[in-house]
Amino acid sequence: MPKNNDSKVLVRLEGVSKKYQSGSNEIVALSGLDLEAREGEFLSLLGPSGCGKSTALNIMGGLLKASEGIITIAGEEMTKPRRDIGMMFQQAVMFPWRTTIENVLLPIEVFGLNKKDYVAKAEELLEMVGMTEFAKSYPWQLSGGMQQRAALCRVLIHHPKLLLLDEPFGALDEFTRETMNQELLRLQSHSGSTAVLVTHNISEAVFMSDRIAVMSARPGRLIGVIDVPFERPRKPELYGRPEFTKLVVQAREMLGLA
Amino acid sequence: MTSTAADVRSRGKELRKQSKSTTQSVIVGTVTLVVFLALWEILPTLGVLNRVLIPTVSDTIWGLGQLIIGGYWWEDLASTLSSVLIAWTIGVAFGITMGVVLGTSPFVRTAITPYAIALQALPKIVLAPVLIGALGFGPESKIAIAVAICFFPVWINTMVGLSLPSAAEFTFMRSLNATRVQLFRKLQMPSAVPIVLVGMKHAMLLSFTGVLVAEILSSASNGLGKLVKEFSIQLNMPLTLAVITVVLTIAVSLVSIMDVLERKAVFWSESERGKKS
Repeated sequence: MPKNNDSKVLVRLEGVSKKYQSGSNEIVALSGLDLEAREGEFLSLLGPSGCGKSTALNIMGGLLKASEGIITIAGEEMTKPRRDIGMMFQQAVMFPWRTTIENVLLPIEVFGLNKKDYVAKAEELLEMVGMTEFAKSYPWQLSGGMQQRAALCRVLIHHPKLLLLDEPFGALDEFTRETMNQELLRLQSHSGSTAVLVTHNISEAVFMSDRIAVMSARPGRLIGVIDVPFERPRKPELYGRPEFTKLVVQAREMLGLA
Repeated sequence: MTSTAADVRSRGKELRKQSKSTTQSVIVGTVTLVVFLALWEILPTLGVLNRVLIPTVSDTIWGLGQLIIGGYWWEDLASTLSSVLIAWTIGVAFGITMGVVLGTSPFVRTAITPYAIALQALPKIVLAPVLIGALGFGPESKIAIAVAICFFPVWINTMVGLSLPSAAEFTFMRSLNATRVQLFRKLQMPSAVPIVLVGMKHAMLLSFTGVLVAEILSSASNGLGKLVKEFSIQLNMPLTLAVITVVLTIAVSLVSIMDVLERKAVFWSESERGKKS
């Protein structure tokens, strides 16, 4: 979905901090983060490990409580995990006693919705990621990449407004990872959901995002935001373009890597 | 999967891999059996072992024939079997209940764990005289003793099983805002099934042991344990061994039935997958 400055803000973080008490030491995981994600946009949180990007994502998802600051989602203050949010993690977390399609439908069961109404949707999603013939397979019969495809279908089954993606393809090999990123972009633009992706891969962040929030470690804080103006859908050729390289270099400089 | 879960699941895999019946291991197994039976037949016959105390294979088979033709022991068989099954059912129900209560409630777990450990350490057979004294020589005391012996592995395995899911699995369920009941039904319970079934299998044999011990200890009016005791007091060793053969057959059958159930119920666990591939 093209970036549009007029579009509404879906997620807003204001002065969000997270502190842990470790013995007598206070560890600041995240310090005064101000950030917003607009409806339909693809936002990346980019930074080295320890920069608080996962912490920020987990706070947005309601899995962690912020020590300070206000988080609003669609104008409502965040208190606990919401059902219009879908989270994806590095591990696919497929339950081995369920078939692929049963795993995809798990959120529907948990939400107490009628599964029958969503079977067609699940089949459609599986078809979009080329998994139709594996709908009745068990996760342990699938490769890691295929499991993440199924997890992608699962996170989209209830049409969440907000996708929170914590390095979802981080455990996959480079080739599978690129394909999966393409699938993710395709499905995200198809569903119109807002996506927030946590990554430490600079070119991946540039390739995927409308905006990149660059973060630094100890304490985790926001360095700056990079706008990525490339048209959608993004094609692999983008990697070769000089404008692409320029943004990668800009991100590296902000991270102090240049 | 967690490393613990993987451990539990792969341990079975390794064991089964080892016992995988290649032609060679079948031959070796058969030879072992033949040699054993031959020695059993020859040593008492030659007088190396006292044939009165250790009858030969053929004596035992003869005894088994006598037992089957006699047919006076069906009541004993029925009494033992029904006691075993009743005690197992009670023990499993109690064990699972305790396991679920302790596995899902940290408060109760903290309150009970030290006593549970003490109870686990106790050789529960020492309770037999107390239970026989309290409940008499009838089936009640047999069942009570068997329950006391058999419920523990089910309890412990249920508790452990409920904590098998990995942190990632718990986090995923939490991200769906799952309730505690949903967490239990959709994640913890299915994860626990394989290890609970293992506990139930152990419980079956422990229940059998408990009933037999009770029958031998008490002056029970019937049961296979009573039969063994009476025949051996009469020094009728062929019949004693015949009854032991019956006990062995029942035990192997019970375990086999549990194995089949286990395979059907946990087709998805790593140990089962390892066996298929």
